[in-house]
Amino acid sequence: MEALQREVEQLQKENNLEKTVEDVQKTIDLLLHARQAIAADASAAPVTMAKLQNSVQQSFDRVNRDLKPVHQGLNNYQKAVTNMFKDKPLPTAENDALSSHPSLVNRAIAMHLLREGQFSVAATFIEEANAHPPQPEPTPGTPNPYLQEAWEKDLANGTFNSQKLQQQFAEMYHILHELKQQKNLAPAIAWAKERSIVLENRGSNLEFELCRLQFVCLFKGGDIQGPPADPVLGVLRAMQYARSDFGPFQHRYGKEVSELAAAMPFAHNMAESPYRRIFYNDSAWEEVATSFTREFCSLLGLSADSPLYIAATAGAIALPTLLKLQKIMKDKRTEWTTQNELPVEIPLPPAYHFHSIFVCPVSKEQATDQNPPMMMPCGHVIAKESLDKISKGARFKCPYCPAESHPREAKKVFL
Amino acid sequence: MAELTTTKLNAESHLLLDQPLLRMPYEQSRKTFNQARKYIQHEQTSVQKTLKATASAALKASQNPSSTPPADVLNNLDAMITKMQSLKRKLVDLNTAELATHASTQARLAHLQSLHTIPSLADVKYEEWSRVRLNRLLVDYLLRSGYGESAAQLAREKGIEELVDLEAWGQCARIERSLRAGRTQEAVAWCADNRKGLEKLGCNLEFELRLQQYIEMVRSCDTKKLIEARTHARKYLASHSETNFAIRAAGLLAFPPETEAEPYKSLYSPNRYSHLASLFLTTHNALYSLPSRPLLHIALSAGLSALKTPSCHSAYASSSANASSSTTTVCPICSTELNELARNVPYAHHTKSYVENDPVVLPNGRIYGWERLKRVNEKFGTEKGKVRDPTDLNVVFEDRAIKKVFIS
Repeated sequence: MEALQREVEQLQKENNLEKTVEDVQKTIDLLLHARQAIAADASAAPVTMAKLQNSVQQSFDRVNRDLKPVHQGLNNYQKAVTNMFKDKPLPTAENDALSSHPSLVNRAIAMHLLREGQFSVAATFIEEANAHPPQPEPTPGTPNPYLQEAWEKDLANGTFNSQKLQQQFAEMYHILHELKQQKNLAPAIAWAKERSIVLENRGSNLEFELCRLQFVCLFKGGDIQGPPADPVLGVLRAMQYARSDFGPFQHRYGKEVSELAAAMPFAHNMAESPYRRIFYNDSAWEEVATSFTREFCSLLGLSADSPLYIAATAGAIALPTLLKLQKIMKDKRTEWTTQNELPVEIPLPPAYHFHSIFVCPVSKEQATDQNPPMMMPCGHVIAKESLDKISKGARFKCPYCPAESHPREAKKVFL
Repeated sequence: MAELTTTKLNAESHLLLDQPLLRMPYEQSRKTFNQARKYIQHEQTSVQKTLKATASAALKASQNPSSTPPADVLNNLDAMITKMQSLKRKLVDLNTAELATHASTQARLAHLQSLHTIPSLADVKYEEWSRVRLNRLLVDYLLRSGYGESAAQLAREKGIEELVDLEAWGQCARIERSLRAGRTQEAVAWCADNRKGLEKLGCNLEFELRLQQYIEMVRSCDTKKLIEARTHARKYLASHSETNFAIRAAGLLAFPPETEAEPYKSLYSPNRYSHLASLFLTTHNALYSLPSRPLLHIALSAGLSALKTPSCHSAYASSSANASSSTTTVCPICSTELNELARNVPYAHHTKSYVENDPVVLPNGRIYGWERLKRVNEKFGTEKGKVRDPTDLNVVFEDRAIKKVFIS
């Protein structure tokens, strides 16, 4: 990397066309000079021209010489790049499962742009993609049994409703903007109230958290619209707000509501009260904003962080390992036989683990729908195929403890 | 045994997808340089020739005292000066272009270099860096797919114009489109610009293009055109290393465009243009050592596999990550965007179970970490002595029914 840096600096400072330009100018000067001389004294023409031939020739030689270091510099740069990537060949897309589904890739990109709030880019992209629909390129090695299925056709026909999705994300960004920049909770609360039941069924506290923050705001002297008011007035307003809006929360958040009520007497020295953590929580706004984004995306069936971002990053983390694997397989001339599972474990940061994973301790295979994890009455879990193999349909001993059980007592579990 | 999780960042080996980032500016500068050399050579020959002629004319004139004044000489000199000045202008422009390329190389190096200062994959800075990379990959994908406008707009909004090659890909897309539209001139000119590199690659693109031009001449069935076609074939096609190539071309003369006989029928076919377009793309990518597939495909294919678990396309909701409960995060592979794309890729390999701490099982077979189950139920406000299934909140169990489960 340092070598490259040096080469580029060299190219910028020294090895560029600047000197060539200068020497061309010198040639021009020579010609101009000669012209002047001849214009002044016509009889000097033959001599001047004869001399000029020579000096122009030399001048061009200089120009050409000037080109050499430029060429050299470029070559050095290229060598440095080659050197840097010597043992790092470009990854080939051997398991490219994407080229055969370009419309799905395009849809993922459109959704990514929308969820990132890049509405105008998304609009241009959707227009361009619809004008020139991509051609699926079937890739060898990745059979494509799904191409005929309905969803693929749906997408290919461009029925992907970007308009609606864009509206939804525009709404999300509007609410977030109000929430973060304007400290205005009203749009978020309105959104949460509309979806009160859905949110409650999901076990989300969002609505209450938003209302509680509103209460705190009012209490501390904020207005619903923002400008600070008289402290006493603030407490009164908060009480009024609690009376009118906290009714539905009584049942589920009884404890929290009474906490808020109990905090009232401390209005004058809240900072020393036991309730300060509710009233002086600096990260409260950030927290509700994050929680709002998550709920919003989840209701659309989307993950909170852009999946495209996570997948591309995970891919970049995985590539060195996959490359090493490819090399080893090539050296040993073996082929990768498991079609539906990667042959090597890829360590990812903990934040990239989403599902629990069950690997059968007996067969060392990952559980699937066809081979689900089964719990024996003793509480140990093995995969169904292992269970069938060990028990052969009769009573058997758990491979991990002395308990005996019958296979029909084993229960399918979900991780 | 491999570790399950890691936050180690090895910047050196991490930069696999970034080779084109540093290669493209080189190709760009090389092109500028060749252009400059061509201009200079061209002007040099012409100026020196005029100079010589003028000098000898001047000499002749001086030996013959009755002859014309040196107006000719002055005119010639003026012409030369104008030529040289235009050469200088061209060179100044090239110099500006060249310096701009170097500045963008500098920016790219700085971007790559900054990865070395990031301590781990869990660092916030890595996320930022990786987002820039994603945008780069997206622009690359858009450019390759011919969505130039979107690419330019995205690069502009994200401020990464120096890190992407809008112009080079724009040119590539233009040539490809011209081929698809049935024009060969642009592609032939491109071949001429890159003759040396193409010779090294040993590729057939130029022959194929010339053959296409020949086919078009023969297709016209016009006598004059046919004669032209013959000279064209002698000039451009005869030198092909494979004799069959030229013979086949010659044979074409005997068949009318509507022939049913192969291989002549397919030679006349308009499909040849799309074949030429894809041949051009392959050649273009090989010449500039660019991967044949978009970088985004490479990164995503690897990423989808690394993240995919058997649960992602399972018929049963996963206890640990699903969209129906606010207590879990939605897995990116389960999210609408990628779910169908990931259907065909292999899932990640794991040798160890990866479960929450203190797993317990509910009577319906769902397994949760005890801590999380407790915390979530507090949040729900479940009555004492009961527990709600976070995946399906309508299901309530007695506390006593929870059982410890052992997963190794």
